[in-house]
Amino acid sequence: MSERTRKIESALALVLSTVAALVGLFWLVFILGDLIMKGASALTPSLFLHNPTPEGVEGGGLKNAFVGQGLITLFATLFGVPIGLLGGTFLAEYAGHGKVTRTISALSDIMISVPTMVVGTFIYAVMVKPLGHFSGWAGSVALAVVMVPVVLRTTENMLRLVPWTLREAAFALGAPKYKVITQVVYRGAITGIFTGVLLSIARVAGETAPLLFTSFSNNFFSTDMKGPVASLTVTIFQYAMGPYDDWHQQAWAAALVITLFILVITIVGRIFIKLRYGNK
Amino acid sequence: MKFKYSPMDWVFKVVTAAAALTIVVIFAGILVVLIRESSPAIKAFGVFKFIFSTDWDPVKESFGAATNLFGTLVTTFLSLLLALPVAIGIAIFLTEIAPSFLKGPFGVAIEMLAAIPSIIYGMWGLFTLSPLMGNHIEPWLQNTIGKLPLVGILFQGTPMGVDLLTASLILSIMVIPFTASIARDAFQLTPAIVKESAYAMGATKWEVVKNVVLPYSKLGVFGGAVLSLGRALGETMAVAFVLGNNHQITKSLFDAAATITVTLANEFTEASGRIYLSSLFYIALLLFVLSFVLLTMAKLLLFKTGKQESPR
Repeated sequence: MSERTRKIESALALVLSTVAALVGLFWLVFILGDLIMKGASALTPSLFLHNPTPEGVEGGGLKNAFVGQGLITLFATLFGVPIGLLGGTFLAEYAGHGKVTRTISALSDIMISVPTMVVGTFIYAVMVKPLGHFSGWAGSVALAVVMVPVVLRTTENMLRLVPWTLREAAFALGAPKYKVITQVVYRGAITGIFTGVLLSIARVAGETAPLLFTSFSNNFFSTDMKGPVASLTVTIFQYAMGPYDDWHQQAWAAALVITLFILVITIVGRIFIKLRYGNK
Repeated sequence: MKFKYSPMDWVFKVVTAAAALTIVVIFAGILVVLIRESSPAIKAFGVFKFIFSTDWDPVKESFGAATNLFGTLVTTFLSLLLALPVAIGIAIFLTEIAPSFLKGPFGVAIEMLAAIPSIIYGMWGLFTLSPLMGNHIEPWLQNTIGKLPLVGILFQGTPMGVDLLTASLILSIMVIPFTASIARDAFQLTPAIVKESAYAMGATKWEVVKNVVLPYSKLGVFGGAVLSLGRALGETMAVAFVLGNNHQITKSLFDAAATITVTLANEFTEASGRIYLSSLFYIALLLFVLSFVLLTMAKLLLFKTGKQESPR
């Protein structure tokens, strides 16, 4: 091949790669732009302050879904984070690099990508069916199940970044191992762990599939976690599939709020990591 | 001198070990519970008969997974087919072309695409992409590629925008960031010295990518592709809006279909009758097993690439 054709071929390939990058960017701008345009107009105070009106009646808001989503996510965090945190601690501090650690780490990685829909059916079978009704608790547990492997893996990785000399220094002072972990190692890794927790909240806040058969939905304001509780995501699903323009408007607004929430958390998490661990 | 030993040490170790074991318990729990719940359907329809039967008839209580599996596999593979070239292009752009001041912001942009929840993709697909596909893109495809022999059959029927093609396109947009970031990481493992040697021999940038970087990172890129397959396989909300939940094996990409996840989302809470619900658990079990196999494969592939660079 002559030098000329080789150069042309190279330039062509590089142009195509740049086009691919622009295609990725295009989708992001398209989706976010559309979301902002359609969502912002319906973003009124009454969306947050009022409960839904009866079906077909204009107006109302999604106060019940905002509060419900908050409750479900809060309890999911309270259940999921400690388990993930302690599990990650065990893998990084006690289990070494042996077979057990590798198996559990690999299993967590797989669990991170397992269809969340399957988690929903699982929690339905163990919590909803035996009790005979949907409940906010079931929704929280389902989200916690999605959360645990995420928190566990980030905690494990972050703890492994803490230098061994730090632990040895603490041991040399006569500190028992649990004290070394809780007071020295955790402190060294706090930013990373905190970011992991933030990102796991971002991850579950947008989940719909695990909530469909667990917390279900509720047209009324309810903070009773023993019964069905409205969530933003399931409400978006219902409203978007529904026949009313008013519903679609509210679904767009709710979608905008939840997306902004998740994107802000994700970016804040990134900034933390950058500040703590430098450019990576 | 004796080591100071605190009983708290033992407690802390046991508690953390228990927490780590929860992962195993959850995993085993899902498997056991799904098998238990689907056992009536397993007894009624068997394994192979269920997988290959195209029945999905709640009235006659006769169920098979074939239509669901068909939709799942077609959307999954088609989405990867659409995503892979773009993702590899993005990875090449990020590692070889972009000036360093662009790398950071562009990486964030791609990450944002990954952070958008799937329900947003689904809703956007329903209200924005689907009409666009049905009114403009699909008729155009029909008049161009649809006229060709052989492949033309894939583009028959009335373009409605609620079909396999739209669903696969949305899935592919979701999968691009995952595939791209794994491909980028794999590309970055190529030692600079090997690339520089190629440049020193007069290779162009593309030749370096094609003959040095890609062969060096092919396992990683492949692992990333399989991981993305696993992701796309279990995706629910992004496709639930635009696939139509049609239990048929269709020839055209312009036909509505059903995936396992879409069937579950639409029918689970409405399922009446023991066998119906049990069949739904059965397809959930199939999905779980399928994604476990794919994800394990991806894990092994990526593990190998990790090993490959370590001795250097």
